[in-house]
Amino acid sequence: MPERILVVLPFYGGSLPVGRYCVSALRDNGCLVDVFEAPQFYGGLEAFKSLKVRQDRLDFLENSFLGLVGDALLAQVERFQPDLVLCMAQAPISRKVLKRLRHEGVATAMWFVEDYRLFTYWRAFAPLYDFFAVIQKEPFLSELRDIGVENALYLPLAALPQMHRPLRNSASGLLSNENSENSEVLGEADRLRFGADFSFMGAGYPNRRLAFRRLAALAAQNELDFRIWGTEWENEPQLEKHLRLKGVRIGSEDTVRIFNAAKINLNLHSSVRPEASVSRGDFVNPRTFEIAACGAFQLVDERDLLPELFAADELATFSSLDELTEKIGYYLSRPEERNRIARLGRERVLSDHTYQQRMKTLLGFIRERKPGWPPSLNAEATEQGGGWPADLPPELRTGLEKLRLELQLPPSPDFDSMIAALRSRSGKLDSLECSLLFLDEWKKQYSR
Amino acid sequence: MSDYLVIQLARIGDLVQSKRLLLTLERLGRVHLALDRGLLDLAALLYPRAVLHPLRAHAGNAGGDSSPAATLTDNTAAFAELGRQNFAAVYNLNRSPLALAISGLFPPETVHGYRLDNGQPLCSNWSRLAARWTANRQSSPLNLVDFWAFFHPQVHEVVKPEEVNPQACAKNPFGREHALGVVLAGREARRSLPVDYLAACLEVLFTTRKGPRLLLLGGKSEQEAARKLCRRLKPATLQRVEDLSGKTSLRDLHEVLQGLDLVVTPDTGAMHLAAHLGTPVFATFLSSAWAWETGPYGMGHQIWQAWPPQPGCAPCLESAPCPHAVACLAPFADPLWLDRLANTNSDASSPSGLIELSSRLDALGVTYAEVNEVRTNEPGSGFARIQAARLAKRALVGEYLGLPAAGISKTPLPPEDLALAADALFDEADWMLPDYRVRSC
Repeated sequence: MPERILVVLPFYGGSLPVGRYCVSALRDNGCLVDVFEAPQFYGGLEAFKSLKVRQDRLDFLENSFLGLVGDALLAQVERFQPDLVLCMAQAPISRKVLKRLRHEGVATAMWFVEDYRLFTYWRAFAPLYDFFAVIQKEPFLSELRDIGVENALYLPLAALPQMHRPLRNSASGLLSNENSENSEVLGEADRLRFGADFSFMGAGYPNRRLAFRRLAALAAQNELDFRIWGTEWENEPQLEKHLRLKGVRIGSEDTVRIFNAAKINLNLHSSVRPEASVSRGDFVNPRTFEIAACGAFQLVDERDLLPELFAADELATFSSLDELTEKIGYYLSRPEERNRIARLGRERVLSDHTYQQRMKTLLGFIRERKPGWPPSLNAEATEQGGGWPADLPPELRTGLEKLRLELQLPPSPDFDSMIAALRSRSGKLDSLECSLLFLDEWKKQYSR
Repeated sequence: MSDYLVIQLARIGDLVQSKRLLLTLERLGRVHLALDRGLLDLAALLYPRAVLHPLRAHAGNAGGDSSPAATLTDNTAAFAELGRQNFAAVYNLNRSPLALAISGLFPPETVHGYRLDNGQPLCSNWSRLAARWTANRQSSPLNLVDFWAFFHPQVHEVVKPEEVNPQACAKNPFGREHALGVVLAGREARRSLPVDYLAACLEVLFTTRKGPRLLLLGGKSEQEAARKLCRRLKPATLQRVEDLSGKTSLRDLHEVLQGLDLVVTPDTGAMHLAAHLGTPVFATFLSSAWAWETGPYGMGHQIWQAWPPQPGCAPCLESAPCPHAVACLAPFADPLWLDRLANTNSDASSPSGLIELSSRLDALGVTYAEVNEVRTNEPGSGFARIQAARLAKRALVGEYLGLPAAGISKTPLPPEDLALAADALFDEADWMLPDYRVRSC
């Protein structure tokens, strides 16, 4: 019986795609996954702002709404009966809900994919999680221990190979808008649209604005194509001509095209301190893994935790703006070297830094720290034959195997797992799906 | 020709009570009925024009192998057949999880009543309205037959109440011999008269009706009750008894019922079958049985409805223990009741705690009116108040369906009664959110 994991997504933000990657990876790992789709509730929350009421009224309305969202989450927990509720940073799960889940014996975990120095609110809720995974080490882990978090785990970010992948260069050389519709090909149109000598994809943090003003000058002097993609670049006249698509949010698929199309991907970790463009912080951002997984080349600023994740020949790094400008010139003229580093970087991600591996690590940690987890696995022994009726005819077995593959379940799933996966799916039922749900209800009715 | 599907997985009584809806749909096209395979024979008699889709819904009632494997195998084939049809509309009459699962086979927008929409159970505003009126069952405004009939949204197409069942009248195909059917127990034992009470009642009916044959009806599980009843009957009465308990199939029961002068019964499937056939019903309703919800449909039926001995006590939930030692049974042992049965033409009132009702039809469907003045002098009985509340709710339900008010109440109803009924029936979300809003039911 696979582990049943309920992933709680945030309403929006950077941890939202990470949450979706976790869902995909958990399913790849054979877990039974359901998702609390908080983004679907976000419109309701936003609507309160149109009321133009006093701040205290707005606070009241927003808190009431968040309470309701918490109730919705509890209802989903009740229906899905997860072994683990895995929350991404900023997930709409209140302390009250966390206490309730603890009281009911439902294990909870958060993957706090934020900089703890910036997002200090972790102190308020971290002790209420059974497991707390973070992307930084000391002194964060000690500080967590000091406030009573017993099961903290360093879990760096990663890439999802089926999303972050190399795209084939189209041989046709024709301009065609169809290129974007073929998700595995980077055509001429894509190269024109997304390509650059060097580009950056991300939000306009103060340190990046400062650094990129200098790179804009470099591009002008050397007639290089420098492009910026992403949000929060307003009121930056020097960078305006480099900003593409008017600073709209870029989806994951186009991000992959941008990474694939650029000769050099700039990867400058964010910092709110503009005086230090290259901040030399500790954690490694998701972009590092994603660009590498695409087999694309990047120049990334040095980070304390980077050397243990990538060897020196797997990534090209810089430690100052001077070094960055110098290396842009160096690598632009050395495509073979770029390709070699990119290839090694990709191999390293595939061997050590995928979301599939991260989720294995997380669940392994939970298993080690919480004897008897997951409870559904232990329940397996109580029901013979995985809860399936005996003597099913061959044609039905064939249909069930086809359905198992569609539902991305591991081989020989138990009856309850298949039912849970079916219930999480949307759309009209076919005769076998309908019959399985019917049998599930039938068993419940007649086992009373 | 359009095809319509009705999903009715419940027992005999509910199958019969789906009749008004099925008759309505039969006028519009071809009707398909998904039902438990144990009721296949009976359904063929009830609805000879319907295409029947038997399913393995009830363990032990499915006939033959009722294992999970057989359930999965046979139902998959049956659902494949249902899925191949292109139904203009599907009427899912029960919110049971079994029926909800089947509704998932069809595009959600084609399903009336209770449906599964992308895995989310939903119910229509009409069903939610009913859930609200059943929160106070004493003043329930609608019979189940009519509630299901109005699952069909085009109200003007719903067959008229008088077209559902024939006017009940005594039959005697056994030559000049009159015969009474006696239905023993029922699935819910607490709402049936114990054999002592039933024996006393039968003796009176036997005498007043000049010694008709008494046919004891029931399944195998009622055979013991039949033996006990026989031991309590007088020899002359016993001589006229024919014990058919455990000896009749549903098809046999159908045949027997249509030849009777009268059927003495609690609230049972056999009672609804008798009403379907136009055989007069003499029904005893107590405990969980409530005439205005599941009384016999059509004109010419008589019901003895126990009135709650404690305020708010009845109708109760049969499965919950009774904290009042089934006090609603007491009036059926009252000599006054037996006197009333013996002297039907006198103006003797019924005993306290018992209301004699006869069936009536109005624009909405069947309802029940008290035959004699109801003794409401007991403190807290409040029968008049409940009747007023029911009438007001019935008027509002009629208005909701677009039926003329005069067809439900000849005189204008007090505005305060209507206001109270509106408060009880309607919910803000009814007019704020679309029908079939996302809501678990």
